[in-house]
Amino acid sequence: MRRLSLVLCVLLASSALAQVQELENPGVTSAIQDRPYRMLHELDIWVGVLPLDAFYVGVYAQLSYSYHFSDRFAWQVGRGAYGLAARTALRGELERTYGVQPTANDEVQFFVGSDVMWKPLYGKLAVLNRAVIHGEVHLLGGATLFRFTNSGFRPGINLGGGGRIFVNKYVSFRFDMTHNIVLPTGGGTTSFGNVMTVNLGLALNFGGND
Amino acid sequence: MKTVTRLLASCLLAASVAALAQGAPPPTKPADPVTGEPAQAAPTAAPAASDGGVGSIAPTAGTGTGAAPVAAPAPAPKKIDPKLFDDALNDYFAGRPKDAAPKLFDYTENVPSTDENYAWAQFFLARSLIELKLNHAGAVYLARIARERTNPAVLTKALEELQLLTDRPHDEVMIDEQVFGALDLGFLPEEIAGYAHYQQGLVDLRVGNERWATTHFSKLPEGGSEASRAKYAMLVTRLKQAKKDLPKEMIDQFFELAKDPKLTQDARNDAMLAVARLRYELADFTGALDAYNLVKLPSLDPGRAALYLEEAWTRYQLGQVHAAMGLLTTLDAPSFREEFLPDKFLLKALIYRDLCHYLPAKRSAKELTRRYSESLDAVRERDDLTRDPRLLRAASARGSTRRARVFLESLELEGEQLGRYAGTFGERMFGYMTRVYDLSRAEAVRIYQQRLTESVRVEADKLLRAAEQVRLMEYEVGLKLYERVKKGSKLVALLEEEPLKTNQVSFKFADEYWNDELRTYRFSLKSRCIEETAR
Repeated sequence: MRRLSLVLCVLLASSALAQVQELENPGVTSAIQDRPYRMLHELDIWVGVLPLDAFYVGVYAQLSYSYHFSDRFAWQVGRGAYGLAARTALRGELERTYGVQPTANDEVQFFVGSDVMWKPLYGKLAVLNRAVIHGEVHLLGGATLFRFTNSGFRPGINLGGGGRIFVNKYVSFRFDMTHNIVLPTGGGTTSFGNVMTVNLGLALNFGGND
Repeated sequence: MKTVTRLLASCLLAASVAALAQGAPPPTKPADPVTGEPAQAAPTAAPAASDGGVGSIAPTAGTGTGAAPVAAPAPAPKKIDPKLFDDALNDYFAGRPKDAAPKLFDYTENVPSTDENYAWAQFFLARSLIELKLNHAGAVYLARIARERTNPAVLTKALEELQLLTDRPHDEVMIDEQVFGALDLGFLPEEIAGYAHYQQGLVDLRVGNERWATTHFSKLPEGGSEASRAKYAMLVTRLKQAKKDLPKEMIDQFFELAKDPKLTQDARNDAMLAVARLRYELADFTGALDAYNLVKLPSLDPGRAALYLEEAWTRYQLGQVHAAMGLLTTLDAPSFREEFLPDKFLLKALIYRDLCHYLPAKRSAKELTRRYSESLDAVRERDDLTRDPRLLRAASARGSTRRARVFLESLELEGEQLGRYAGTFGERMFGYMTRVYDLSRAEAVRIYQQRLTESVRVEADKLLRAAEQVRLMEYEVGLKLYERVKKGSKLVALLEEEPLKTNQVSFKFADEYWNDELRTYRFSLKSRCIEETAR
């Protein structure tokens, strides 16, 4: 009983304190600013890597187009990439030591896809107290169709996220990192595959700031 | 409310037209209607010499005027090798002003003023001193060239240098009034003559000779920056004279000036502020707000406290209490912590009162008397107000008092820098320069104190008026606090908050001020008026 009274006292006191605070400093202040950068038609030029495979590192170039419905939602209508494989030391060792055939490893040749983009975070950063830069963080979800050297075309589910730093109304830089879960269809494969993409892009924006 | 409006009107009127460019203080009116800076009595006791009193100091020990000790006999001029001048010039053009200065000093002190290189030596001595960051000493020599006029070619160059010096803290009496204000304009090249005409016009305006000023201003080349500044000065003067009946066409003239690219951005902003203040006076609050929005600040510049406070009053008059309160939040930013804005607390109390938050309203009202209690005590006790740190800071932060303070500070800094050259300059030159700075500093202190005494009184008046308003407010809020709500009371109309637009983003304020946000704060607080009356 005594303990209950103590708890009640503490609760009442804290509630009273909050009320006093509200009475003394009522209201909320916010900085309401026009968004200086708004996107509409976005064309991106990317370079990226596929870092996950132990036997090769895919380096690719990609082009994409996105349409921004609002400041929160966009659709990356299409993206297409073509890659070159840089073999790792492990693969060379396997071929030399164990005589593994080079054709035994499945490599990504090119891929195309489409994603929806949700942009929940928008903010700004003070650069050494001398300048302010604006940026946003987005999440991506979509589908990719891969062309592998051995197993041919295989679809995948693409999930990931990225960020954007605005340079001006027309130019921004994007950094995206996504993970593709490649489905076990096509080419006789029976297991899921994983393809991770890490890419850096130059984004050109047309419209949206009027 | 009427009292508040009256107070506001007087504050805004007092804060209306910018200083006449870089000129000295207005002479006769009690307050400048645009800048709001307290009008100062023009420095009456002009120094004996036209270079601020230092021209008469002989470069021998203790021969200064006034404060200088008893004069010692001047040493006889020594024989100077004419090559000394060439050596000095070589040093100067080789980027060694420290070596050039003592040689040039030696040269000027030991050759007659009729020597063909005398004026040039003075000029390069001035340039060397300016390069050594001894601007005032340089200005003294340039002013001497302008006064002696021994070589017309050097004179033009010296005047150009002096004109450049006017962009920095400088001796207004010596340069603006006694050099440019007293020049014979017939022989000058066009650019310098333009500036001299402008300065002489300003001097005429200050002493109330508008006709003479117009004559000078009419000789300014059309389309030049001086012509625009002269227009501005004329408008300000006319506005002062037409205080009671504000001519509406003046608003258009100020508005035109605010778009004049030949004026500096600061001057254009001043003109736009004048437009806003005049519109406010005419109760055109929407127009005033438009003008405030047209004041352009450099990117990430914190701006001016007066601008925010005036905009807040305008928004309050338009019923935009949430935006007005947002601007008052801006005034709490560290950039404005030293600002003297007693009105701020009054407006805050008014807004809380209008939203029926009576306790915060009372608290805001009390905040003024709490924060300025020492200053108010000093006023009531008839103490020396220049000793009150808040009033002192406020009085020396604006207008001609600020210019006098900045010049005094620059003299002190240069005086300290002079000590670094004690060895290089030699005993004679160093002694002379020290006396130049001592005498100039004494005169600068006198002018600063003179201006300060007047402007501190104006600030004290402002504080007293605000304190009086606050007492009324406290009384009014006290009555409201204990007012009984009668049955069937009418609902008070809500003061609507503007909703967020799709292209806007909201950053909740969490005690961290960002310069890019200072003009965009908005306060969100629901009115309690309905709840109270509906009970």
